[in-house]
Amino acid sequence: MIAYILRRLLLWIPSVVLVMLGVYALAFYGAGDPIKLIFLRAPGDVAYDPVKIEAIREQAGLNQPFLVQFGTYLWNLLHGNFGNSLFSGRSVWAMISAAAPVSLMLGLMAMIVTALVAVPLGMIAGMNQNSRLDYTILGTAVTLWAIPAYVAGPLLMVMLLAVLPSGAVPYGWGGLFSVKIILPLIVLSFQPIALIIRQTRAAVIDVMTEDYVRTARAKGVPEHVVALRHILRPVLTPVVTQLGLIMITIVNGAIFVELVFGLPGLGRLTVQALINSDYPVILAVTLIGSFLVMASNLLVDLLYPLLDPRATDPKAART
Amino acid sequence: MNALLDIRGLTIDIDRDSGPARVVDGIDLTVAEGESLGIVGESGCGKSLTMLSLVGLLPNRIRATGGVADFAGKDLLAMSSEELRRLRGSQIGFIFQDPMTSLNPVMRVGAQIAEALVYQSGMAKPAAMERAAELLELVGIPSPRDRLMAYPHELSGGMRQRVMIAIGLAGSPRLLIADEPTTALDVTIQAQIVDLVRDLKDRFGMSVVWITHDLALIAGLADRIAVLYAGTVVEDSPVDVLFERPTHPYTRGLLASLPTLTDKPMSRLPSIAGTPPEPGRRPPGCPFAPRCALVTAVCTTSVPRLAPVAGSAPGHRAACFVTAGEGAS
Amino acid sequence: MTDGTIINPPEDRPSSLWRDAWRRLRRNRLAVAGLVVLAVLVFVAAFGPWLTPYDFLSQNLDARNLPPSLGHPFGTDDLGRDVMSRVIYGARTAFLVAVLVTVVAVLIGVVLGAIAGFYGGRFDKTLMWVTDMTMSVPQLLLVVVINASLKQPISLWMEARYMETMNPLYRNSAIIDFVLVFGSMALISWPPYARLVRAQVLSIRNRPYVTAARALGLTNRIILTRYVMPNAVGPLIVAISAGLGTAMVLESAFSFLGIGVNPPTPSWGNMISDGLRVWTNYPHLLLAPAAVLAVVTVAFNFLGDGLNDALNPKGQK
Repeated sequence: MIAYILRRLLLWIPSVVLVMLGVYALAFYGAGDPIKLIFLRAPGDVAYDPVKIEAIREQAGLNQPFLVQFGTYLWNLLHGNFGNSLFSGRSVWAMISAAAPVSLMLGLMAMIVTALVAVPLGMIAGMNQNSRLDYTILGTAVTLWAIPAYVAGPLLMVMLLAVLPSGAVPYGWGGLFSVKIILPLIVLSFQPIALIIRQTRAAVIDVMTEDYVRTARAKGVPEHVVALRHILRPVLTPVVTQLGLIMITIVNGAIFVELVFGLPGLGRLTVQALINSDYPVILAVTLIGSFLVMASNLLVDLLYPLLDPRATDPKAART
Repeated sequence: MNALLDIRGLTIDIDRDSGPARVVDGIDLTVAEGESLGIVGESGCGKSLTMLSLVGLLPNRIRATGGVADFAGKDLLAMSSEELRRLRGSQIGFIFQDPMTSLNPVMRVGAQIAEALVYQSGMAKPAAMERAAELLELVGIPSPRDRLMAYPHELSGGMRQRVMIAIGLAGSPRLLIADEPTTALDVTIQAQIVDLVRDLKDRFGMSVVWITHDLALIAGLADRIAVLYAGTVVEDSPVDVLFERPTHPYTRGLLASLPTLTDKPMSRLPSIAGTPPEPGRRPPGCPFAPRCALVTAVCTTSVPRLAPVAGSAPGHRAACFVTAGEGAS
Repeated sequence: MTDGTIINPPEDRPSSLWRDAWRRLRRNRLAVAGLVVLAVLVFVAAFGPWLTPYDFLSQNLDARNLPPSLGHPFGTDDLGRDVMSRVIYGARTAFLVAVLVTVVAVLIGVVLGAIAGFYGGRFDKTLMWVTDMTMSVPQLLLVVVINASLKQPISLWMEARYMETMNPLYRNSAIIDFVLVFGSMALISWPPYARLVRAQVLSIRNRPYVTAARALGLTNRIILTRYVMPNAVGPLIVAISAGLGTAMVLESAFSFLGIGVNPPTPSWGNMISDGLRVWTNYPHLLLAPAAVLAVVTVAFNFLGDGLNDALNPKGQK
C-alpha cells in the first residue's frame, strides 16, 4: 500500500514539472521577454534605449539560458514568489492569495454538490434503464451538459429578473454562506453534474450485465441487497475516478461563472490579466489551474486501491 | 424414482425490435430425485436459457412464454419473483461458467459465501462465516479460514471455481445446476472439478443438471443425457444407451466427431456440415433437416416429436421420423 | 441438403454497416431532431447574406435597443443593429470556425494517432506524453496562454508586413483574430482525436484479419489504410460530431472572453458578452444569442448520442 502511494507520487511529480515546463516554454518563446513587453506597453524614450534595456535584462537574469530561467522561476514559485504584475506592478502572489479563496470555496462546493446530486440520479437512471424516469434524467443531463456556463448563468439571471425586482437578483460575492453563492454554484455544477450522471448511469448499466450480479441473484439475495452490494458498490470505482476528473471541467467553468456573476476569484483575475496581456499573472494562474487538475488526478489514484482491491496487486491488471 | 423437476413444453422468446424470436421451442425434460442429467448442445441451442428461465434469471428482453416447470410439485414458471428468490440458493443452487467474472471482484470470498446463508437461512453473520469456512474445506480449499478474507483475484481459476461451488452448495439445495462449469478452466483442473461435483452429489444426494457442449466430459458423470438442438430436445436417453445406440442423426454426428483411440493418426474427424438455424429463422419441419444426411420429404414439412426409440432400452427417446419411433428403419 | 436457402439465408437485406447505422439513427427521434436543427444551421450559415433582412453592420441610431417586434424579430442592439441579422451572421462565424478547427484537429490527430498506434515505440511514448500534458492543462487557460504568446509576435509580424508592402490586408485585425482562434483551438483540440485513433488502431492491429493480411505479405501502409483505418471510422465519426459541437462552444467561449472573434464581426460569444452588460434593462440582447447557442449545442449532443448508439451498437437489440 505504502509502496503503491510512493510509486504514484514518484510518477506524479515529474509530470507536474513537465507540464510547468511546457507552459513556461510557451510563454518564454511566445511572448518574448517581459522587459520588452513592459516597454512595448509604454513606448517612451526608454524604450528605444537599448543600453538601458540590456542593463535591466541583465539584472533580471533574462540573458540566462532557458532552463536556468525556468529553474529560477520554479525556485521562486516554491518560495511563494510569482513575480510582479506587468500591469499593476503588484505582487502576483498577493493578487492570487486574495482571489484564490473565492474560487477554491466555489469549486469545492461544486464538487460536493455534484457528488451528492449526480451520483444518486445516475444510479436511479441506470437501474431503471429505458424507463420514462431514465429518459427524463438523461435528457436533463444532456441539456445541462450542452449549455455552457456563460449561457446558463445569464439565462437564469434573466429568468430571475422576471420574478424578482432587478436590484434583488443576486450578483457578486458575499462569502460561502450568503444567498449570492447559490446561483453561481448551481451554474458551475451544471456540466459536472451532467457528466457524472451520464457516467454513473453507464457504469450501472455495465455492472448490471456482469456475471457476478447473476450469481448474487442465484444465491437468493434480496433485490435491494443485490442493488446496493453487487451493483452500486462496484459502480463506485469508476464513479469516484470520474469525480476526480471533473476538476478540469470545474476549473474551466469557474472562469465564466466568476465573470458572469461578478465574483472576485481566480477566473476573473485570469480574464483581466488576459485583457491586459499581463503575462506573469496568466502564467501563474495557468500553473495553479493545471496543478489543481493534476492534484485531483493524483488523489483519485491514491483513493483507487481503497475502492478496488485489485489496484495494489501487481499481478492483476488495472482496468 | 420421483421426478424432482418436470419441464413440459417450455418455450422461450427473445424480444427483438422486429418481433419475438423463439430460442427454446417446446422442451420436455425431467430430472429425478438424486439423478444427474447432462444437457448437451452447441452454443446458442438454448440449454443455459432453459435452466435460467426456471429460477427467473433470464436476461432482459428474453422471456419464458409457455409451458410448465414443476419443481417438487409446484410450477416454477407461475411463481412470483419473491417465491423464486426464496427458492434460489436454498432449493436450487447454481454454478456458473466463468469463475473470474461470476464472483464479485470487490467482495471477499468469505462474505460472498456467507451472504447466501445470511439471506437464505437467516443465519447470523459470525455463524455464516463459520459455515463458509466449512464449505470451503468441503470443496477442497486448503487453509479455508485464511481464504475467507481473500479477494477473488487472489485465487487461481480452479480455486475460484471451487468457491463458486461452495456458493452453490451453501443452501444445501435439492437441485444443483452447473452451467458449463469447466469451460473456462485448464484440462487438468476440469477433471478435478468434475470429480468434486460427483463426490458432493453422492454425499448429499442432490440432483444435478450439468450443462455442457462436451459429450466426453459428462459421460462419466451423468445418469442420463438430453441432447438439445435449436431449442428442442432431439434425444433423451440413459447415458450408456446413448453411447451404444445413438439414434438421432445429430447425436450420431456429435459422437462421430469425438476422437477415439482407434482413429488413424492424422485422419480427419467427421463433422456436421452447415450451421444451426438462427432463432426466429427455423425451417418449417425438423430443425435439423437442412443439415441431415438422412433427410426425407416428411422431414421438411412436419416436426418430429420425441418418441420412444423402437427396439431400444426403456427411457430412450428421440425425435426423428427416420431413425426413431413409428416407421423407423 | 434439400433447401440451401434455409442454412444460408439469402441477403434479402444487405446488412451494410452504414445502412444499418442510418436505420438505427432514423429511429432515434432526438437524434433526428438534432440533425434537423443542424441542417437549418448549415443552411442559414451558407445563405446568411441572402436571408438577413438587414446588414449586420448597418446602424440605425433612431432604433436603438428596441424590443422584439415584427420588423426586428429579436429586437435591435445598442447601436440600432438588427439582432436577428447578427445572430445569423454569428452562425456563419461559429460554423466556419467549428468546421475549420475540427478538420485541422482531426487531420493532425488521425495521422499522429494512427502512426503511434501502428508503429508504437518511442514516437508513441512521446505522443502519449504530449497529449497527457496538453489534456491536464485546463483548455481555456491553455488557449489563454497560447493566445497571449502568439498575439504579440503575429501582430508585430503583420505590422512589419504592412510597413513593407502597404497592403491594407495586413492591417485587418479580424485576420489576426481568426488566425489566433484557429491556431490555438486546433492546437488544443487534436489530442483527444489522436488518443482515440491510437486506441482504435491498437485494438484492431492485433485482430486476426490484420494478422491474416500481414501473413499475405501486404505492406504496412496498405494494412493501415485498407484494413485498420476503415474499422476505426465509426468511433471517429462520433467523436467528430461531438467535436464540432465543442469547437462551436469553444469559439463562442473565447469570443465571450474577448480573445476570439472581436467586434464588429458578430459571434454568439461576443453578443452574449455585450448582452451581459445591459441584461437588466434589455434582456432580449442576451436571450437571443444565448438561446440559439443553447439550442445548437443541445442539437449537437443529441446527434452525437444518436450516432454513438447507431455506430457502436454494443448491446444490439
